[in-house]
Amino acid sequence: MNPPVANPPPCSPKDFRSGLKPIWCPGCGDYGVLAAVCRALAASGRPPHEVAFVSGIGCSSRIPGYTTAYGFNTVHGRALPIAQGIKMADPNLLVLAAGGDGDGFSIGGGHVPHAVRRNMDMTYLLMDNHIYGLTKGQLSPTTARGTKTPSSVFGSIEEPVNPLLYVLAYGAGFVAQGVPADIDGLARIIGEAIRYPGFAFVNIQSPCVTFGEDEDQVKVQRTRMRPLAAEGHDSANRLKAMELAQHYGSVLYTGVFYRNPNPPATYDSEIRRLQAESKSHAA
Amino acid sequence: MLQNLVIGLAGSGGDGVVSAGESLIATAARQGYRAMLTKSFGSQIRGGEACCRLRVSTGPVLNPGGELTVAVVLNWEDFMRFGPELPIGAETAVIHEAKFGPPPAGAPIGLGLSSVVRAVPVEAIALAAAGTDQAKNSVVLGLMAGWFGFDPDGIREGIRKRFGYKGDDVLRANERAFSAGLVHAQADSLGERWKLAPPVPASTRRVVCDGNDLCAAAALFAGCKFFGGYPITPATEIMQIMQKKIWKHGGSLLQAEDEIAGIGAAIGASFAGRKAMTATSGPGLSLMAEMLGLASAAELPLVCVDVQRGGPSTGMPTKREQSDLFAAAFSSHGDTVRPILAPMDVADTYGVTVEAFNIAETYQTPVIVLSDQEIAQRKEVIDVVDTTGLRLVDRLAPTDAELAAYTRFRFTDSGISAISHPGMKGGGYLAAGIEHDESGAPNSNGTMHARMSEKRLRKLDPLQRRRDLFFIEGDPEAALGLVSWGSVAGIALEAVRAARAEGIAVKLLVPKLIYPVATEIYEEFFAPLQLCLVVEQSQQGQLHRLLRMWTTVPEEFISLTRCGANPIAPQDLLEQIRSLVKTAGVVHPRATVPLRP
Repeated sequence: MNPPVANPPPCSPKDFRSGLKPIWCPGCGDYGVLAAVCRALAASGRPPHEVAFVSGIGCSSRIPGYTTAYGFNTVHGRALPIAQGIKMADPNLLVLAAGGDGDGFSIGGGHVPHAVRRNMDMTYLLMDNHIYGLTKGQLSPTTARGTKTPSSVFGSIEEPVNPLLYVLAYGAGFVAQGVPADIDGLARIIGEAIRYPGFAFVNIQSPCVTFGEDEDQVKVQRTRMRPLAAEGHDSANRLKAMELAQHYGSVLYTGVFYRNPNPPATYDSEIRRLQAESKSHAA
Repeated sequence: MLQNLVIGLAGSGGDGVVSAGESLIATAARQGYRAMLTKSFGSQIRGGEACCRLRVSTGPVLNPGGELTVAVVLNWEDFMRFGPELPIGAETAVIHEAKFGPPPAGAPIGLGLSSVVRAVPVEAIALAAAGTDQAKNSVVLGLMAGWFGFDPDGIREGIRKRFGYKGDDVLRANERAFSAGLVHAQADSLGERWKLAPPVPASTRRVVCDGNDLCAAAALFAGCKFFGGYPITPATEIMQIMQKKIWKHGGSLLQAEDEIAGIGAAIGASFAGRKAMTATSGPGLSLMAEMLGLASAAELPLVCVDVQRGGPSTGMPTKREQSDLFAAAFSSHGDTVRPILAPMDVADTYGVTVEAFNIAETYQTPVIVLSDQEIAQRKEVIDVVDTTGLRLVDRLAPTDAELAAYTRFRFTDSGISAISHPGMKGGGYLAAGIEHDESGAPNSNGTMHARMSEKRLRKLDPLQRRRDLFFIEGDPEAALGLVSWGSVAGIALEAVRAARAEGIAVKLLVPKLIYPVATEIYEEFFAPLQLCLVVEQSQQGQLHRLLRMWTTVPEEFISLTRCGANPIAPQDLLEQIRSLVKTAGVVHPRATVPLRP
């Protein structure tokens, strides 16, 4: 166990950037996500070596390597189980998981409800670009119906998933959405997610500049985004959050959809309780 | 008197034959006998057929034995479903429920003439004494005590332990049923010849346990701090035992949503610096294949226990087979080697599991422990495990100087690089399944890939010199040799010892390190051999084929193999050895010689 240092020297966002040059295309939304993550981590007060940053496979899953955290670029769709193992093994760590919409809601979709219901104190960043970028533009689980891609040349004939609504329905205690067009806002949202004591989900509409749709691009986001705070949304109202989340794909809400005002005990706190009780029982 | 007694009990799922077997082995252990109890079921939870086979001996018990000394048949239909698992011979005493009449045509009662056959109204005795047919197994226990010399007081103590919590009425009813069985046996004695010879006094403390018990105990002893897994027969008990105990060791356990998540969480825990494991059976191993590759690429220690059962696919979840060897060695894609260990008996599971952790930590690699349904679930009377000689190894940690300019995958002479973990200041790096350079940065350059592949393989080379992971017994210069592994090894060992007692020069090698194949150790063993038999339990003879891949084998290299759930009797193997010796020099090499039925 490595308890947090009592008075850690303040880290700047730069301290969280590694020297690796991203493979992302110029104009990719993921650059803004990386900047926001580094700001949020600096604001967390934790030094890089106390952060574990886990990802799956895809363009966005390269992100841990661009930070100075302990990164783990795992296999496709499995960031969440691995992140949970890390958190269980060392609950003192700040654990982040990240990946694309295919990684999280297609191949890894079966892991999401279980990560949510276990409610470990960790943050999951979904870098949602509605497309498979790394394999050059195929249909993803969040691609809008009718979209023509190399794997749906006559237009998609299936409904996309709604990550926000799914995760709310699974029972997540913190659900938010951000955009790289507003790096300040995104950094604040990720910071709040990190501070939430439990499983926190942030859907980041991070556009693919090469294969994505024009109306999803960063400069369009600036005009499309509608901050939930400005809408007067009460983030303690779960049903209202679900109502708003239904507009995923048409209205670009940003900010916190839902924050459980009474967070339940986390899985990691239950682990500590079991360990303490078993030890005293054994003694 | 009997030096060696093999009892086969079969009935329907609710008849309690397995718990009767458990009472008998506990009593035999307290009396000072060596014993082994194997169980076999249909895969139903209740109402299907169930059987157990108990071997009790005054000397060491190496396997469940061949032909039964005594068959206890509560229901012929259930009994006969087990077919070759419960072989009745000419010398077998047959005790059957009278209610179902005489043995049906086709019942495997050997020649019948010299057999002792007793029809006992077990159900009627239970109803009369206890008022319920649920006490049938207590009647059977009475019969066993009266006829074969199990200590009645020991069995009564077992009955008290098992039924005490169910209240006085149930306990008294079972005690009456037991006494009635005992009285029945005493009134209709089989004679002294059927009584167990007195036990040889034990010099050591002994316990009754199975392979899954010892696997979990060994993992905790080795310092395992995380278990991730998913319930699957016949491996589930390992998770259940860990769930009871791991917390007080400061560890934690995840019953995951599937096997992929289970092994994934274990890999995460290992990345976080903890010793971690998963346990599964065939279908779970198939699901875990990609994750095993990740652990190899990221060079993370991990122990994966695969309790083999009949396959492919769902196969036979409750039956023994040694058919996951190819899957364990080759299932994950890419150019990689995962060490595979296999215990040769219940007690051996302890040391092998500890060594699996040591190898995983030393070489920063996933290690597969190939147990099998029989070793995992058979109860044995064993000496209490002596842990004083066991060493424990932790992964190589970076020094302060190394952390000042840390390089996770540094090329070293041994191929092993110091490994940091989150929380260690200065040790930050990117772990990845993607090919990487020494720092961990993604890299797809061919030269780097070749160097990294070579590093990951070369670091395992010292394993091939681990002579302590090979059991060898017999005449070193013998021209006839056997190789066997896992739960079948005990059968080969009994046959080899019996052959040597008859003056046949023969030797046996049992690898506990199955993969990588230790070429030099095998070739040394093979050197004087004219003929070698590889004895195992799978249709293809998977070890036989694996050895052909990696060693220069003797000219006559014969696979003696049988498909899962078909026991290999030590006596059959002994006869095979005898006949090979008689025809030595004229045996023609064949790829596979089926054991005679």
